Amino acid sequence: MSNYITGPDVVKYACSCGLLKPITRLYFCRHCLELRCGFCVCHEVDSNYCGKCCENLPSAEARLKKNRCGDCYDCPSCKQNLSKRAATVGPKNPEDPKATPRKVYYLLCLNCRWSSRDVGIPDQAAATGSWPERENVHAARLQEIIEMYKGIVLAEKQQKMEKDKKKQRRFMTFTDRTGITASMLRKRIGLPDIPHPLLKPKPKEPEEAVAKEEVEEFPEELLTKPINLNEITTLEQRLNLPEWQPTTVDKLFPIHKQVSVKRSQRCRACEHNVSKPEYSPTSIKFKIQLFAFYHIPEVRIFTVEPLRAGKQCELLLKFSNPTQHQTVITFLPLFPSEDSFASKEIKELVPDEEVPSREIVIEEKQPPSLPGSQPSSLLHTSLSRTPSITVKPRPIKQAITANVELPTSNFVLLPRDDAAEFDDSGDTHNIQDDTKLVVWRKSNKAVIRLNITPLENLNIGDEVVVGFTMQHIYVNTITAVESKEPQRYNNNVKVFQYLGKIVGSE
Amino acid sequence: MEMRDINYDRSEYVETASGNRVSRRTVLCGSQNIVLQGKVIIQSDAIIRGDLANVKTGRYCIISKEAVIRPPYKKFSKGVAFFPLTMGDHVYVGERSVVNAANIGSYVYIGRNVVLGRRCHLRDCCVIEDNTILAPETVVPPFTRYSGSPGIQVGEVPECQQDLMIDFTRSYYQHFVPKL
Repeated sequence: MSNYITGPDVVKYACSCGLLKPITRLYFCRHCLELRCGFCVCHEVDSNYCGKCCENLPSAEARLKKNRCGDCYDCPSCKQNLSKRAATVGPKNPEDPKATPRKVYYLLCLNCRWSSRDVGIPDQAAATGSWPERENVHAARLQEIIEMYKGIVLAEKQQKMEKDKKKQRRFMTFTDRTGITASMLRKRIGLPDIPHPLLKPKPKEPEEAVAKEEVEEFPEELLTKPINLNEITTLEQRLNLPEWQPTTVDKLFPIHKQVSVKRSQRCRACEHNVSKPEYSPTSIKFKIQLFAFYHIPEVRIFTVEPLRAGKQCELLLKFSNPTQHQTVITFLPLFPSEDSFASKEIKELVPDEEVPSREIVIEEKQPPSLPGSQPSSLLHTSLSRTPSITVKPRPIKQAITANVELPTSNFVLLPRDDAAEFDDSGDTHNIQDDTKLVVWRKSNKAVIRLNITPLENLNIGDEVVVGFTMQHIYVNTITAVESKEPQRYNNNVKVFQYLGKIVGSE
Repeated sequence: MEMRDINYDRSEYVETASGNRVSRRTVLCGSQNIVLQGKVIIQSDAIIRGDLANVKTGRYCIISKEAVIRPPYKKFSKGVAFFPLTMGDHVYVGERSVVNAANIGSYVYIGRNVVLGRRCHLRDCCVIEDNTILAPETVVPPFTRYSGSPGIQVGEVPECQQDLMIDFTRSYYQHFVPKL
């Protein structure tokens, strides 16, 4: 039994970049009308938040704190969350009979029982904040070097600006005509060159590191003393604290928890967002959610007969329509033949007016943002951005190990109706189905029968993969501004099914 | 893959007016403290410790066989106190899992043989993989996938996890049918 949550993924869709992904990992850009996956969209950081306390950190503060939460700590020994524990200790001056016992706090890992008392961090009087921060011994030096590089970057930027300024100057100056610049003139008459008022002095270089010749004596005890592995940190523990890299466990100090990010994703071709989460760290809602799961019909394997090499068997697929619009599904071969490929090339070059479309209602797929297709539209020509990157599709590297007998007829999928679940009136659709093709149908779902034949040369245990191109009608509601009527497109999606392994003959 | 029917013995299960299907072979302690919002399935040999503190589930929760739902406790200087355990909608708890969490959000998938330590907080839309042990007081942020012992984040779940879980628990409920 497999589902989308636990996997394995048995049905994959081909992204426009050529990768095969389950439908849950795909996005559908409704401006380009293309499938996009996580690898072919731009990821942008929307906000930083701490996964433990679920609080947002402004990006400036996050940078200042090195992308770590100020209040939450991870265990330096096992990387789990540290929790704050309270303990009561005797009053400050035991002689005073009125004094109440004080409450103090320490950090404790509930997984490995590491505690801040182990390494001698004093207990704190307040529960939040105020834990002592450790300063790196080289912090001053590092800061110096960082500042120097910042200065260099600034200087380079200024130089570049100067250059640009010089290029922009169109008018002629006296010195240009004579070929003598002001500074040359100053030199000639023996005056010192004055530095440019805008140019800052060269960044101050920190003291150079000096190589030392005398090194510490080799400690003899490294060879003689037996090693106690309980006192030595593991490589992972050292790398969790890159600034100190402690070698012994008594130098392990709590680590500030790394913050997570919420990110929005943007189509690289048209720069529209395909996913934008809400700001709040605990929210699971989205402002923009163009997930393929909500736009492209979903294909599931219903059942498949035992697969035998060279023998025809029956495959039942369940299609469901996630949109509010009725769609028609047509099966096409996976790879178009030479002729249709050539015609597609032409279609891309010539605007769609000159290509006679097969049906009047349905337009050939054409990205709505391309100039020329809707000349008078305010929305499409002036406001939309031109495609920044054209992503070249890569070939799909998936061996097909079975032939599928593509049905010639198509079938209708009704729109999704959330109320259908509570509707007991039964199936009241009046759709004339090809009974050879459609086995079962209910609300927005239908089960389809396909005949497949695994290739002759397969051995027992070989994986059987079939694929076809699913053409469905996609109703685009965003282009409804000028024509009022939502536009309908034929959208082609390549779908692959992993049916399992070849079993032995009877 | 389409879900197969799961048949149960009609005499073993009780179905309430709100659609809860509860096996008779479960241990429900302190049943007056257990609230099931509707369309919840509690399978045989599951244990819910309502006697310790209130247990509240949302709609379409699935408690699999031999799972243990047990409100968490916290030690104080004067003794131990138990805290209520709340669970959101569309939560799946796998077989033989022990849930000691304080709070489980909605659309959460908990695999088989999982141990959720005391007072864990699971936010919405997270997945705990099979055989995970979560240390006490762990917070699982939304859209993360935890695995291992002790459990750490190993990945992310797709953004449409909410609809995946709704679809999963609904179809589980629809395919959980009595034997003919």
